Amino acid sequence: MSDILTALRAELRGIFADRQVRLILLAALVIYALIYPFPYRAELLRDVPVVLIDLDRSSSSAELARRVNASEAVWLRHDAPDMIAAIRLVQERRAYGVLLIPEGFERALLRGVQSPVALYADASYFLMYQRVMQGAAVPLRQLGVEVEMGRLIAQGSAPNVALAQVSPAAQVEVPLFNPAAGYATYVLPAAFVLILQQTMLMGLALVATRRGRGHGHPVWRVLGRMGAWILLYALLLPVYLIVLPAIYGLPNLGSPVAVLLLGLPFVLATGLLAQCVAALFRRGEVVQVVLLAVGLPFFFLSGFAWPVEAIPAHLNWFAQIIPSTAAIDGLVRVGQMGASLPEISHRLWQLWGLVGIFATVAICLELPAHIRRRFPASGDSLDQV
Amino acid sequence: MLAVILREFRLILHRPALLGLVIVLPVVMLITLTGIFRAGIPTGMAVVVVDLDRSDLSRSITRMLDAAPEITVHEQALSLSDARAQIVAGDARGAVYLPQGLERDIIRGARPEIVIFYDNQHMSAGSMVARGARGAIDTALAGLRLSIRQTQGEAPVQAMVSIQPIPLQAHALFNPTFDYVHFLLAALVPTVLQIIAAAATAYAISLDFGPGRHPQVLARMAGGVLPAMLGKILPYTLIFLLILGMSDIALYGWQGVPLRGSLMLMATGAVLFVLGVQLIGAAAFVLTRDMGRAASIIAVITAPAFGFMGLGFPREAMSQLAQAWGALIPGTWYVQLRIDQSLRETPLDISVWAVVWLGCIVLALGALVLLRLVRLRREIEAKA
Repeated sequence: MSDILTALRAELRGIFADRQVRLILLAALVIYALIYPFPYRAELLRDVPVVLIDLDRSSSSAELARRVNASEAVWLRHDAPDMIAAIRLVQERRAYGVLLIPEGFERALLRGVQSPVALYADASYFLMYQRVMQGAAVPLRQLGVEVEMGRLIAQGSAPNVALAQVSPAAQVEVPLFNPAAGYATYVLPAAFVLILQQTMLMGLALVATRRGRGHGHPVWRVLGRMGAWILLYALLLPVYLIVLPAIYGLPNLGSPVAVLLLGLPFVLATGLLAQCVAALFRRGEVVQVVLLAVGLPFFFLSGFAWPVEAIPAHLNWFAQIIPSTAAIDGLVRVGQMGASLPEISHRLWQLWGLVGIFATVAICLELPAHIRRRFPASGDSLDQV
Repeated sequence: MLAVILREFRLILHRPALLGLVIVLPVVMLITLTGIFRAGIPTGMAVVVVDLDRSDLSRSITRMLDAAPEITVHEQALSLSDARAQIVAGDARGAVYLPQGLERDIIRGARPEIVIFYDNQHMSAGSMVARGARGAIDTALAGLRLSIRQTQGEAPVQAMVSIQPIPLQAHALFNPTFDYVHFLLAALVPTVLQIIAAAATAYAISLDFGPGRHPQVLARMAGGVLPAMLGKILPYTLIFLLILGMSDIALYGWQGVPLRGSLMLMATGAVLFVLGVQLIGAAAFVLTRDMGRAASIIAVITAPAFGFMGLGFPREAMSQLAQAWGALIPGTWYVQLRIDQSLRETPLDISVWAVVWLGCIVLALGALVLLRLVRLRREIEAKA
């Protein structure tokens, strides 16, 4: 027991006495909490600028433009005489789409033949493309429905019959969770988990590379360190995963108890992984650079932003070893989607499994030195262990 | 200076830590990133159908849903709460609700509701699922409308025209195949390289200029502190440019991403980008004279840089301050240049500004390092 306490105290000293470790584990958390959400503060894309080329210049084309303009997503900000001028505006990033109403638009409508319009949306930015398409397609479709209905009514159909024929069923789309499609709401909960993991890995691995020889059996030493991490992160994890999202106004449906129950194996697995990383790379500088470089790949490997369905199987297997993969999925489902613990129990077990594996590795890494110290200078005494 | 450069190359070969950081680490990261996105756009995401109608129509809608490339109809759920539970647990990404009496109500003209539920917390996957389901249901309903008109005696071609008076011809500008994979990759590679290049440069400099080291030896060898520093930096410029070039050959050559613009401009941008990033590392080190603190500065600048580049959430929608912060990071301009010159075929007079900005960043950081070196020189020469 005293060995455990000694190791716990030594780990806490290693964390708090080292300026650089303090900087990473505490100051970096604060700085990242400010910088990472910074680009997404606007949350929503409204009024994406689009170029209008109205070659028809009729009252129908003006009506069409007015309706598209009324949508929340796009804004017909520029007028251009032709495609060349319009594309130039898009290339300058002053607009993200072009709505082209061809000559003869109104005449075709009146004659009862198809009267197409063309929409060019900038597909080099996924979100812009989606917004432009959405912003123009919905009013266009509605106008189409009205035209078709008008023709049916003119032929003698009753309005409700005409509507049922034009649109036999109402299609409703309901986004579950993040209903406003906010970008911050989408990306930040996962990013916070990853930041927590990367700073923890870096800080605790630095402590490990700078640690002198400890006392007692490796099992007690590792247990003591685990105790130190729990003490520290019992404070940091709730602040980062419960208080911080609340400050940024992110929706929170989860119970704090579930967050903490997932957080416990996450913290332990990450701390233990830090021991393995430290043993693998040994030098503090190298550990830091490597961990900095893997942050973004870890994020995409977690299957959150890039769907797991598209990640090749062998990489996905590897991804399951990284604590953030299970933690991001579990914590986002609990926190933002209101999942209960039984619903994400496989993630909970996965994290505890990682704790078991990394603990075994961490203990084994320290065994040789331990044995050498207890039985110095003789190989045969190994038999007694 | 040449002597210092040659010495640096020998140093890289003899120090496993350095060799690992500047060659093994970036190459492993590039292979991993390429691996993640290799399979392309996600397909076959699970959707559950809550079919309370169990009619010919509801079965045909289910088949249409299953045929959409984005989604696979995973299984039937008995109720909406069952479907929701599957979405929450991660077994499905969306659900389609077909109410009881769907077919009957449609025939009667009562306009029943078909509801698509999708997981928008995982927004990228969720929006793709919603798009797939919307398209499938649209197709199913269009078929229904066509058959109604045909039973009324309209010719098939005329019916086709009638149900769509204002067809929308949608075109995807610059990226007709919707290849976000290569687009993302073309941006992620410089982002990760930016982190590694800045940190590795700072580390290499710390090996000679750090506390307890002897920069005066190096300065004597090169004939001055400034050439000594340049001799430390340039070998890595060459290495990172080679790595960037290799990944570009893989991306534009092997994977066939279009390269429509000026190669010359891209190359100029690449050189300025690598130099700029290295100067971040160099500045961080000469300002702090401590690798640990330098690494922290580099981390704060380069680790969150991806978000500021505007690939997910566009730069134009960010606050002015966020745009300004992004403008200070070399990667922002370099990635913009790459997209401009590969996909967008942007005219040179627009695109050249990204290169000008990169040049400004290099000059500003270079001046900062230089100023610091002038001060350090006295210290070093005093030692020598």
